[in-house]
Amino acid sequence: MHLVMRQIFLIAISLLVLFTMPCFATIDVYEFETPELEERFKLLTHELRCPKCQNQNLAGSNSTLSLDLKMVVYEKLIAGETDQQILDFMKQRYGEFILFNPEMSQSNVLLWGAPFIFVVVFFAFFLRWYMNHKEVDND
Amino acid sequence: MTEKKSQNIMLKTFSLLLFVVVFIWFYWLIGQDKTELPSQLIDSPAPNFKVPDLLDDEVIHTEKEFIGKITLVNIWASWCPSCYVEHPFWKEYSSNKDIVLVGLNYRDKKQKALEFIREQGNYYDWTLFDESGRLGIEFGVYGAPETFLIDRNGKIRYRHVGVVDRKVYKEIFLPLVEKIKQGF
Repeated sequence: MHLVMRQIFLIAISLLVLFTMPCFATIDVYEFETPELEERFKLLTHELRCPKCQNQNLAGSNSTLSLDLKMVVYEKLIAGETDQQILDFMKQRYGEFILFNPEMSQSNVLLWGAPFIFVVVFFAFFLRWYMNHKEVDND
Repeated sequence: MTEKKSQNIMLKTFSLLLFVVVFIWFYWLIGQDKTELPSQLIDSPAPNFKVPDLLDDEVIHTEKEFIGKITLVNIWASWCPSCYVEHPFWKEYSSNKDIVLVGLNYRDKKQKALEFIREQGNYYDWTLFDESGRLGIEFGVYGAPETFLIDRNGKIRYRHVGVVDRKVYKEIFLPLVEKIKQGF
């Protein structure tokens, strides 16, 4: 009886193994000749935004468009293009939107300047309030 | 003291005004589709390419074929549900003989793309087969369907993201086509 149980167990295990589907990892492996190139790839894919899944960068996204764009970055790095050339290529096609760290331009100068303006305005108000307060205290 | 009072009133009015302006601005922002990206290629020449025809590998198309005609390039794929919704419009549209309708089959399997054409009908004058999606990247495509309007000089004049139907065509594309026909 014991032997029969063991045989059944073995058959069951064999069947299980037989029907196990192979698991294909979908992680892309990019091979680089130098660690510097790999570092540049990491930086670029972190700096570039996925146009399809707009709150993710290329590095963090597995959408097909991101995979394609990552491959473009990879190929261009291997071909010896500079980081700026690669960023310009992406910008020409998808706009400045694709850069997670937008450059300062005429259209967004207010956005860049706003924090400084707020700080100055705040201090101006604060100074005024403080001076008034002082006057009242002195009275 | 009265000066201070009037200053106080001014400050309060200013704060209230600022609040109202910001409120209206945010309210207006709610209705905006922030995921839609404007095309970078408007008024630029269509990208250079050499891509085979979907129906015949030996026929190679290039951007030069856009010259001299007004062309619509419709990006589609068999994996794109909205393309099935959009496709019947192209049937209706195909009677329009003065504008060339080019399909760009984007990141698809050939078998599936051919099946789509067989089942849904082929209303394209010719179809580019962009299996790798590289031509799509050149056009700045970030999904399907998208439709580009190209003028007689081979310049991209408009990009529509999403389904083109009778209303979209009439309200957006037609006025632009008329403008191009008049030489603008």
